[in-house]
Amino acid sequence: MFLLALTNGLVIGIIYALAALGVSLVVGIMNVVNFAHGEFYILAGYFSYHFANTLGMNYLAAMMLSVGLVLIFGMIIEVLLIRKTYGDDLYSLILTFILSIVLQNTYLLVFGPYPNKPPNWVKGATNVFGQFYYGNQRLAACGAGLVVIAIVYLMLKKTWFGRMLRATSQDREVAELNGVNTTALNMLSFGLGCALAAAAGVILSPIFPVTPTGGMAVALTAFVVVVLGGMGSFWGCVVGGLIIGLVENFGAAFISSGYRHVFGFIILIFVLLVRPAGLFGNREI
Amino acid sequence: MAMLEITGIDIFRGETQVLWDISLTVEKGERVAILGSNGAGKSTLLAAIIGMLKPTAGSILFHGLPITGSRPFENTRRGLALVPEGRRVYKEMSVIENLKMGAYPKRGRSRMAETMEEVVSLFPILGERREQLAGTLSGGEQQMLAIGRALMSRPELLLVDELSLGLAPVITKEIFRVLMQLGQEVTILMVEQNVEQALKYSQRAYVLESGRVVREGDSRVLGEDQGIRRAYLGM
Repeated sequence: MFLLALTNGLVIGIIYALAALGVSLVVGIMNVVNFAHGEFYILAGYFSYHFANTLGMNYLAAMMLSVGLVLIFGMIIEVLLIRKTYGDDLYSLILTFILSIVLQNTYLLVFGPYPNKPPNWVKGATNVFGQFYYGNQRLAACGAGLVVIAIVYLMLKKTWFGRMLRATSQDREVAELNGVNTTALNMLSFGLGCALAAAAGVILSPIFPVTPTGGMAVALTAFVVVVLGGMGSFWGCVVGGLIIGLVENFGAAFISSGYRHVFGFIILIFVLLVRPAGLFGNREI
Repeated sequence: MAMLEITGIDIFRGETQVLWDISLTVEKGERVAILGSNGAGKSTLLAAIIGMLKPTAGSILFHGLPITGSRPFENTRRGLALVPEGRRVYKEMSVIENLKMGAYPKRGRSRMAETMEEVVSLFPILGERREQLAGTLSGGEQQMLAIGRALMSRPELLLVDELSLGLAPVITKEIFRVLMQLGQEVTILMVEQNVEQALKYSQRAYVLESGRVVREGDSRVLGEDQGIRRAYLGM
C-alpha cells in the first residue's frame, strides 16, 4: 500500500506540476491569473479525442496538433481579450473567469455532456517492485509529463526565448530596454501557458476522460500548486506538484479517499502560514 | 548632422507636466552631462529619449531619423542604450546571463563573444564573478554590470542615469574613469546629481531647473561659473 501510494503520488504529481507550469508562467511574466486554464486543458482533450477517434489520426499526431491549436487559440485570446487589461489585474481576472464559463458552456453545446476519452497509447500493466500491477498508460503518462517538463526546463535555461522570459518576469521595463518586444512576448507566453495546459490535457485525458466542466478541478489544483511552490518559480511548480500529488495519495490511502483534495489544502495552509510567498517564492505578496 | 537632436519636447507624467520645451543636441563622440537638482526632470528626459515616456510636443531625432514615440525595444535595436537609475540588474540571473541579456538586440548578438571580452577587460571583477547571481554583487559591482549590460548591445549612444547614486566616491570615480576609456565610438549622455564629477567627465553640459533648460555650455566654463558653483557645489 505504501509503494502504491508513492507511485500514484509521483505519477499524479508530475502531471500536476505540468498543469501548474502554465499558470505559473503566465503569472510570472504577465501578472495575469488565467482562470480559464483548465478549459484550455479540456479543449486539448476534446481535440485529441476527435482527431484520433473521429478523424482516425495517429494518437501522437492528434496530440501534437491539439497542443498546437490550443497554443494559437491562447495567443488569439491574449490579443483579443487580455491585452487591453494590462495595468489592472482585476480586469484580466474577471475576463478569464467569464471566458472559463463561456468555454464550459460551449463545450457542453458542441461536444455534449458525456465524458470523451482519447485512445490509450499503450496496453496492459507492469508489475512494479514485485508488489502490484500498475497501468502502463499511467506510467507512460508520467514519462510524457517528465519529458515535457524537461523540455520546458531546457527552453527556460538554454535558449534566448527562455532568457527573455526570465528577464521579463524579473523586470519588464529593463527587459524592454534590452530590446525585448514585451508586447509580442506577452502573446507568446500566454499562448505557451495555454499550450502547457493542453499538454497536460492530452497526456491525462486517456486516463481521466474530459467533460465540459472538468477543467475547474484541474485549474484549482494548478493554482494550489503554484501558490504552494511560489508564484513564477519553475522548481516551485515541480516540487509543489509532487508534494500535492504525494500528500493527496498518501492521505487517500491511509486516511480516507473521500478527503483526497482536503489534504492538499491543509498542506497549503500550513506552508502559507510559515512562508507566505510559497516554498520557492521570493516575491513580496 | 547631430547624432541626437531634441527640439522643443514637452513631457507629462500623468497629469503633471515635468519637462517644458526642452531642446538639446549631442554630437557623435561627445560626452554630455545633464545637471540639476532632485526633481528637475533629468531622469524624465532620459526616459523620454529611450521611449519610456512619450513627448506631447516636439521631436527627437537620432541620426536625423525621428524616434519620437518609438518604444524602448525599438530604440535599443537602433543603437541607443540606457543604464537605468538604481542599476536594476536581473538579480536572480548570473552576471554572465545579465550580460548576455544585454546582447539580445541583433547588433549585439552577432558580436556577443567579442563584446563580452571587451566588457570583462573594462570591468575585470565581472569576469571573476561571472557565475555569481547579480543580486549578490555589491552596489558598485552592480553598477558596473548595468553599464556592461548596456554596452553588450554595442550602442552608439549610451544614456547613463545617476551613475553615482548610492555609491562610494572612490567607486564612482573608478567607474567614470572606465567610461572615459570607451573611446569615440560610444557617445555618452549622462544625468548626474554629482555636479563636480559630471563637469569633470563631460565636455558640454545642460543645466535643468524645474523642467526647463536654464544654462548650457562648455563644462569647464560652467564649472567656473559663480552661479553654478553657488547653486550646486555649495561654494
